[in-house]
Amino acid sequence: MKFLIAVGSKEFSEPTLRVGLQVAKAFKAAVTIVYAGPKISEFSTSQVRFTQERMEEWEFDRPGVEVLEWAFNFLAENDYITPTSIEAGFPKNTLVQTGGNRCEVYLQGTICKDVNLILRNGDIIAELRDEVRRGGYDVTIIGGSQKRRMAHDLIQYINSSIFVVNKYDQHQDYNLLLPVDDSTHTPKAVQYGARVAQAFDVKVNLITVSKTDSFGEGYTKASQLASKMMRRAGIAHEHRFETGDPVDVIKKTAGDNHIVVMGASTKNPLFKFFTGSKPLKVMEDCLCPILIVK
Amino acid sequence: MLNTFIYWLTQKRWLVFAIIVGILMYNISAPAGLSIEGYRTLIIVVMAIILIIFEPIPLPAVAMMILIMQVLLGIDTPNGVAKSFMSDAVFFIMGSLMLAVAIISQGLDSRLALGIIKLTGNKTWKIVIGFIAISAFLSSFIGEHTVTAMMMPVGLTLIKNSGVDNRSTAKLAGLILFSIAYGSAMGSIGTPSGGGRNVIMLGYMKEFGVVNISYLQWMKYAYPILLLEIPLAALILWYTFKPSQLILDSAVRKLKIHVTKRGSVSGNEILTILIFVFVFLGWVFFSSKVGLGIIALIGVFLYMSFGLIRWEDLNRNTNWGVIILFGAAVSLGLHMKDTGAAFWVADTAINWMKMISDDVSIIRWFVAVVLTGLLTNLLSNAATVAVIGPIVLNMGGDTLVMGFSTAIASAFAYLTVVASPTCMIIHSSGLVDKSDYLRAGWKMFIMSVFVLFFISNFW
Amino acid sequence: MLGFSQRSLANLLFWVTQKKWFLISLLVGTALFLLPTPNGLTLEGYRIIIIVITALMMIITEPIPLPAIAIYILVMEVFLGIGSPEEISHSFMNDAVFFIMGSLMLAVAIVQQGWDKRIALGIIRLTGNKTNNIVFGFTAISAILSSFIGEHTVAALMLPIAMTLIKYTSKDSEKVTGLSAVLLFAIAYGALIGSIGTPSGGGRNVIMMAYLKDHGLSISYLGWMMKVYPLVLILIPIVSWILQKSIVPEYLRLDTGVRKLVVQVSKLPELTGRNTIAVFIFFLVFLGWVFLSESLGLGTIALSGVLLYLIAGFVKWEDLSRNTHWGVIILFGATISLGANIKNTGAALWLANQVINVFGSIMDIFPFATDTIIVIMTTILANVLSSSATVAVLGPITLNLGSDALHLGMVTAIASAFGFFTAVAAPACTIVYSSGLVNAKDFLKAGWKVGVVSIIIVILYANTFWSIFF
Repeated sequence: MKFLIAVGSKEFSEPTLRVGLQVAKAFKAAVTIVYAGPKISEFSTSQVRFTQERMEEWEFDRPGVEVLEWAFNFLAENDYITPTSIEAGFPKNTLVQTGGNRCEVYLQGTICKDVNLILRNGDIIAELRDEVRRGGYDVTIIGGSQKRRMAHDLIQYINSSIFVVNKYDQHQDYNLLLPVDDSTHTPKAVQYGARVAQAFDVKVNLITVSKTDSFGEGYTKASQLASKMMRRAGIAHEHRFETGDPVDVIKKTAGDNHIVVMGASTKNPLFKFFTGSKPLKVMEDCLCPILIVK
Repeated sequence: MLNTFIYWLTQKRWLVFAIIVGILMYNISAPAGLSIEGYRTLIIVVMAIILIIFEPIPLPAVAMMILIMQVLLGIDTPNGVAKSFMSDAVFFIMGSLMLAVAIISQGLDSRLALGIIKLTGNKTWKIVIGFIAISAFLSSFIGEHTVTAMMMPVGLTLIKNSGVDNRSTAKLAGLILFSIAYGSAMGSIGTPSGGGRNVIMLGYMKEFGVVNISYLQWMKYAYPILLLEIPLAALILWYTFKPSQLILDSAVRKLKIHVTKRGSVSGNEILTILIFVFVFLGWVFFSSKVGLGIIALIGVFLYMSFGLIRWEDLNRNTNWGVIILFGAAVSLGLHMKDTGAAFWVADTAINWMKMISDDVSIIRWFVAVVLTGLLTNLLSNAATVAVIGPIVLNMGGDTLVMGFSTAIASAFAYLTVVASPTCMIIHSSGLVDKSDYLRAGWKMFIMSVFVLFFISNFW
Repeated sequence: MLGFSQRSLANLLFWVTQKKWFLISLLVGTALFLLPTPNGLTLEGYRIIIIVITALMMIITEPIPLPAIAIYILVMEVFLGIGSPEEISHSFMNDAVFFIMGSLMLAVAIVQQGWDKRIALGIIRLTGNKTNNIVFGFTAISAILSSFIGEHTVAALMLPIAMTLIKYTSKDSEKVTGLSAVLLFAIAYGALIGSIGTPSGGGRNVIMMAYLKDHGLSISYLGWMMKVYPLVLILIPIVSWILQKSIVPEYLRLDTGVRKLVVQVSKLPELTGRNTIAVFIFFLVFLGWVFLSESLGLGTIALSGVLLYLIAGFVKWEDLSRNTHWGVIILFGATISLGANIKNTGAALWLANQVINVFGSIMDIFPFATDTIIVIMTTILANVLSSSATVAVLGPITLNLGSDALHLGMVTAIASAFGFFTAVAAPACTIVYSSGLVNAKDFLKAGWKVGVVSIIIVILYANTFWSIFF
């Protein structure tokens, strides 16, 4: 498994890192941390790159390296990773250009086999999409954003599962909310949910929502399967059946003390683009972390 | 597959928009008084401006589109387009970009740092004036981005060493970085070799049969503006970003320590400066005969044959895409002139102005300058001059003053990050916000317009 | 301070020894400059010849980087008063330069698409596992591909295929020297003979078309193909036969190599829409060349292809910018400018007359003498210079050597592809050489037979086929 964690700044990325690494550990995943800096106008790319080379000679780090270094140290201090410092390491923070606007970052004198650091410049969605395509990541972890457009673009264009760490407070107790229906992504979502629940050691609330009073065969089958998986994994869980609009019910149940795990929509992408999808609506309105499984 | 296509469409929506605009315009018949070729040239201009501002495709792709469309729409033959693509101005842009690489990689920045500090001492306001003056002075000879690239490390060393974290030095960072960027932007008007756009304008003036301005004459016209702007810019920046640190004692000391570590001046550094002085003398005395571009290329040739720079470095660090784009823009400008499109636009604009007032001389000047100033903040300065130049020169009045003012106004790239490489370079440090540009820039913009007005009408 | 210390003196000496050919060229130039102008030649004509001579010396000995030589040419043209800066800059650029720029970028875009593996599968399917068949297959495919997309692209695409075959046949490269040589030369020479097939096969063909146009002789893309393609088809079996005879491979069957290659290639993902579109765009460019090049120019069409690749997002500008050899483009432009000025100043005519004076008696006696002289002269120059520089400089001269300029021009363009003898003669040779599996002297060993046979065939072909059918 390969996870990609996108960090933005020191102030806002702490919960993202914390949750991301915890989940990654549960999946025994290799982690890459990416920082996407501002886009550089093409009129100036060479000049800017060249100036930055000069700056390196004066021992200034590129903007972003600082954040990556902080992220690395944060993870090391909280025992998520164990870096080893070696004498043969780079004498200063070193950037290796690997195509276009992408750099691999090697920190001064340390190595860590668990984490890669990547520095990119450009539009965040385009950069994440490219990074995911290049690295074949399974899950992309990113902090919540105020912009609605961003959530839409993330779900629409990033070809991996997406974990949006919205408003995560490490001192609060969370439960896991796992909506179950008959869509094709549900089994995988249940699987991921079980892992996450184990990682955080929390209870799972399975929920099946139908628009009418009757629950179809697909729904019952899916929910039975989900319960069985939870039981096998030895995770405390309860299962509820509710009626109403799925999005509203999930939002209401989730509140601000759940981690939501749900499957991605299977709608036609064109349709999704114009009308949105269930996960998107949940993501836009919920005040809690949400993992969308693709 | 479908999702990829949707993604592509949303990323390229401005391309789609530009194409639709182009097709619509193509199907509307040409306005009266404009030849069909002229109208088609205008279509290309409109599409190119949309594409450059919103950048849905890489800029060199825009350049290729311009060239291809000129052939496709029958404005000129393939060879004609190719020939109009290349001129001494494009040689100059190529040469000066390469010269920049050669000069910057010699590590002269630390010498520069020492020089500035020796002159200014450690009072912040003196340092700011020093930064602006030195940037302006240097960039009037060797191109703004070169200067910014060399001054940046010096400025950053001062900033990083004068406060504990970014927040405490935010104002100081703005002050120093903007004095570098705006200083070099202002300076680039000083001589023809200050920027590619000056050379483009010189080429147009020659083409239009306006008086041939020599290097020294240009300096005589432009340098007063520069000298007047330096103190004003310092005042504006000082009051926009009032820093909490009034004396940069420890930072200056650390800078000195850093610089003295470099050791004494090496032979290569002397040679670098000598070659540059040689190129400069060539510009002053021979440029009217052999052209600015050829002399810049001689400089590059000398740097390469003395082994001061390797071709691989030049190949990697020269912005080839921009050279292609400027070539295409110049080609477009020439065709605007040849097809009569420039004349038509100028004429229409003058007629509109006549609606406001019968005496168009001052309005005309203001429209040209402000329009250039605004466009230069959205496109790039050389592209702006390449496209606006032929129009302005067709507006009548004193073509010398008009053309000159346009070239100078194209340096007013203060308002946005993308306005010029200098603005982008300081933004890439991560220490200045996009909003800062507007905050300091609008005052600079107005100040510069008035200084230009004052000088161009009373000098 | 500026008194010469021992160290700086040593530095200076080092520089002088490093750049001795640069200094010698300059000295020769100065000496020529001081000599009086020969009879019948204008002052400008004489000066352009000085530039040609010094530039040739520098290109051959390469004391300074090639782009610096290009700059030298441009600067000298202005300084010696051959044209104003504006005239020189205009002569620097024409559709042929756009073509070279476009085709170099197309090459980068194509190499990135990873077509090599599919090509590998195709070749193996056709040829089976007999070494001789594979050699023939490599020659043929390289030739056919390179007649459309340029020899350096083809060499870059084919090299990994050959390396895979060689590596899997034997791990010890000592044991497969013969096999390596025969396969790699099949690629390089195949690509070279193919590049004459169509105008888009190489920049030099485009230059020659431009010169012919200046002479009032226009030849279309299809017209070129009809005249030259039969020659490519004749040369393919001959070249591969010569290679098989002169280099004996260690293995007559490449069983394991082929099997491993097939295994590796079949790991490829299915053809995606992306791949199909990429091929489709190239196909469009080709159609454009065939049908529209008269009105739009080859260069414009090549650039359109690049534009489409960029818009579709198949290639990033960053990659294009980094991997395109801008120095080559500048050198190309400079030699074109040189060629145009050789013609305009009358130097071309004068030089042609000198050649006629020297060889005139032979030319009258022997039927093919003119062709022979042109072909040999071009081949020799093409092996020490680059092929496009050869055509750019020789073209204006050879076109004046007889009455049938079209014939002479085409022969020059074809012969300029015969860079068989040295490792640096053509990009395809250099690429193959860069694999480290063949020695520099192998080129002469294998190349001289191919070269001699090609020269003879070209002369015969030009004087039989063309005179019968055209």
